Amino acid sequence: MTEPLVTFRNVEKRFDDFVAVRDMTLDIHEGEFLAIMGSSGCGKTTTLRMLAGLDTPSAGEIRIEGRLMNDVKPHERDTPLVWQSLALFPFLTARENVEFGLKMRGVAADERKKRALDWLDRMQIVEFADRNVATLSGGQKQRVALARSLVMEPQMLLLDEPLSALDANLVIRMQGVLTRLQKELGITFVYVTHSQSEAFAMADRVVIMSQGDIAQVGSPKDIYRTPANRFVAEFVGRNNIFTGKTGGSDNGKTKVSTLQGAFLAQTPDNPPGPEKQVSFTVSADLMTLTLTEPDADNKAKATLISEEFIGSVVTVFLEGQAGQEYKVQMQERALAELDLSPGADVWLSWEAENANMLETGS
Amino acid sequence: MSGPRKIDIYALTWRLPIILWQLVFFIGPVLFMVAISFFVVKNYRMTEAFEFVNWQRMLTRGFFWDSYWYTLFIASLSATIAMLVAFPAAWALAFRASDNLRRWAVFLLIIPFFTSYLVRTFSWYVILAESGVLNAMLGYIGLGPFRMLNSHFGTIIGYLTLTLPLAVILQTVTMANVDKTLIEAARNLGCKPFATIWRIVLPLSKTGFIVAALFCFILAFGDFVAPFYLGGSQEPTLPILILDTTKSGQQWPRAAVVAIMMMVTLFTVAFTAIALAYRKPKGSKG
Repeated sequence: MTEPLVTFRNVEKRFDDFVAVRDMTLDIHEGEFLAIMGSSGCGKTTTLRMLAGLDTPSAGEIRIEGRLMNDVKPHERDTPLVWQSLALFPFLTARENVEFGLKMRGVAADERKKRALDWLDRMQIVEFADRNVATLSGGQKQRVALARSLVMEPQMLLLDEPLSALDANLVIRMQGVLTRLQKELGITFVYVTHSQSEAFAMADRVVIMSQGDIAQVGSPKDIYRTPANRFVAEFVGRNNIFTGKTGGSDNGKTKVSTLQGAFLAQTPDNPPGPEKQVSFTVSADLMTLTLTEPDADNKAKATLISEEFIGSVVTVFLEGQAGQEYKVQMQERALAELDLSPGADVWLSWEAENANMLETGS
Repeated sequence: MSGPRKIDIYALTWRLPIILWQLVFFIGPVLFMVAISFFVVKNYRMTEAFEFVNWQRMLTRGFFWDSYWYTLFIASLSATIAMLVAFPAAWALAFRASDNLRRWAVFLLIIPFFTSYLVRTFSWYVILAESGVLNAMLGYIGLGPFRMLNSHFGTIIGYLTLTLPLAVILQTVTMANVDKTLIEAARNLGCKPFATIWRIVLPLSKTGFIVAALFCFILAFGDFVAPFYLGGSQEPTLPILILDTTKSGQQWPRAAVVAIMMMVTLFTVAFTAIALAYRKPKGSKG
C-alpha cells in the first residue's frame, strides 16, 4: 500500500487527569472510508478533533501527508468537519453558509457563488439556496452542512456523528448519499459514530475504541466474525462468548474445556498453549438450533427463554448449563416450523471454524 | 371544561397590578405633563390654558436646539465608548473565564450599584480635581495639570460610571450564550481567531449588544448628575435645561415641553433599536 494519508504515532490526549486518548497508533489511507466507533467518552471525538486541530495532542505525533500537524492551527488546515450539531451559521442563508469557507480563503464573490450553487445543486437543495438555514428541515440542513465542507474540495472529510439527530428512514437515505459521495469524490472520510449499523453499513475499515484505547481495527466483517477481545465481542453484540481452559491442539483446532462441555475452536495465529484461560466467540447467526441431538463436533443442550422478532430474522435467547446464555439468530420461517414455546429443550451446534478465540487475558 | 371566562379572570388577576401601575404612575403623569405644556405662567403662577406659546418659545430658540443636539451627541458618544471599553473585558469573561469566575465577575460588577450614584460621582472629584490624584500622578511625569472636572470629559466619565458595569454585564451574558461550536466551525473553515469576533460572535450577539447600547444611551441621555456635577453644566444637557427652566420664573410649562421632546426622542431611538435588534435574518419567511 502507498504512504498513508494520516499517521497517528503514540498519540495521547489528556484533559487534566482524564486521559481521553492513550498511546494511539493508527494509519488512515487515501480514499478510504474509516469509521471510528465506540460508546460516549471512548475518545473517538477527541481523535477527530485532533485531526482538525481543535485539540492538540499531549504526546505523540500526528502527520498528514508526512507533515507534522501537532501544532498547526485549525484555520491553517484542510480538514473540514461535519458537526454532530451541524453548526450551521444561523444568521446566514444556505448559500452563504456554503460560501463561508471559500470567503475565508479569499475566493472572489462570483466564483464563490457559482461553486456554492453547484454544490447545493449536487445535494439537491439548490431551490433553498437563499433561505435562512433555520427554516430548513433536518435532512436539508444535513445537506447544507455537507455542501459547506465539501465545497472546500478537501482531501479528507471529517464527520462527527452527523446522522444522530435524524429519524431512522432519513439515516438510511443519508448513508446512501454519503457512501455514494465518498466513492464519487474518491476522498478519505473519517466518520465518528456510536452506531454499529452506521459504521458497518458505510465503512471500509472500522476502528473500535474503548476508554481511550483502540480495541480493534479491521473490516466490518472481520470485526463482526472475529472480534479480537471480549470488549469488541460484547460491543458488537449478538455474540456467544465461552470461557474455559485450553487442552491439546490438533489440525488447526484447539480443545477448550468449559463448564458447558469441551469444544473445539479455531487455533489463533499465536496459539495460547495448553492449560490457559481463554474465551472464544461464535456469532449468533452461525449457531444451528435443532430439536434432536445433532452429529457435530460442538454441541450443547439449552432451554429456550424468549424470542426477539426483528423482521424476517429472529434472535432466540436460550439458557444452557451453568447459566450460560446463548443467542441464536435464524430465519423467522425456520423457527416457526420448529413450533417451539418458552421452556422447550433444544440442541445447539456450531462448526469449529466459526469458534473464534479471543486474545488471552481479555 | 372551564370556559374562557374563567381563564380571563385568572389572566386579569395577574395583569391588573401592572396595568393599574402603568395607568396611575405613567400614562396619567404623561398626560398631565402634556396638558401642562399648554398652560401659561403669569406673575410666577401657572394657570390652566391651551396655548402653543411654550412650544413656540422653546422650539424656535437656538439654546434649546444647541442643548438638544449636544445631549444627543454626548449620550451617543458615551454609549459608544461604554460599548467599546466593555468589549474586551466582556469577551474575556465570556470566552476565557471559567463559569465560576464569570459568576463572580458579574456579581462584583453589580456591587457598584449598591452605592448611590451620587456618592460614586462625588468620589470622582477626589480623582479628577485640579489638585486631585490623577493630576498629581501626571505631575510626577511632568504633565498637566489638566482640567478634567467641569468639562465634556468629566460628563462622559460620569456617564460611564453609571453605564459601564451594565454594559460589561449585558455583553458578557450575551456572549456567554454564543454556541462555541459555531466559533470552532468557523475556525475549521479557515477563519482566523480574531476574525471570528466579527464573523461569528457579533452577528450572534446582535440583539444583546443593541439592547446594551440602548440602555447606555437611555441612562446617559436622561442623566442629570454627571453633566451637573462633573460637567459643570457648562454646556447644559436637556435635564439641566429642565432644571434651569423650572428655577427661572417657575416655567413648568416650558420644562414640560423639554421633557416631552426628550421622551419622544427616547421612544424613537428605542423603537428603532428594538426593531433592528429583532430583525429577522435574511431568507426567513413570515
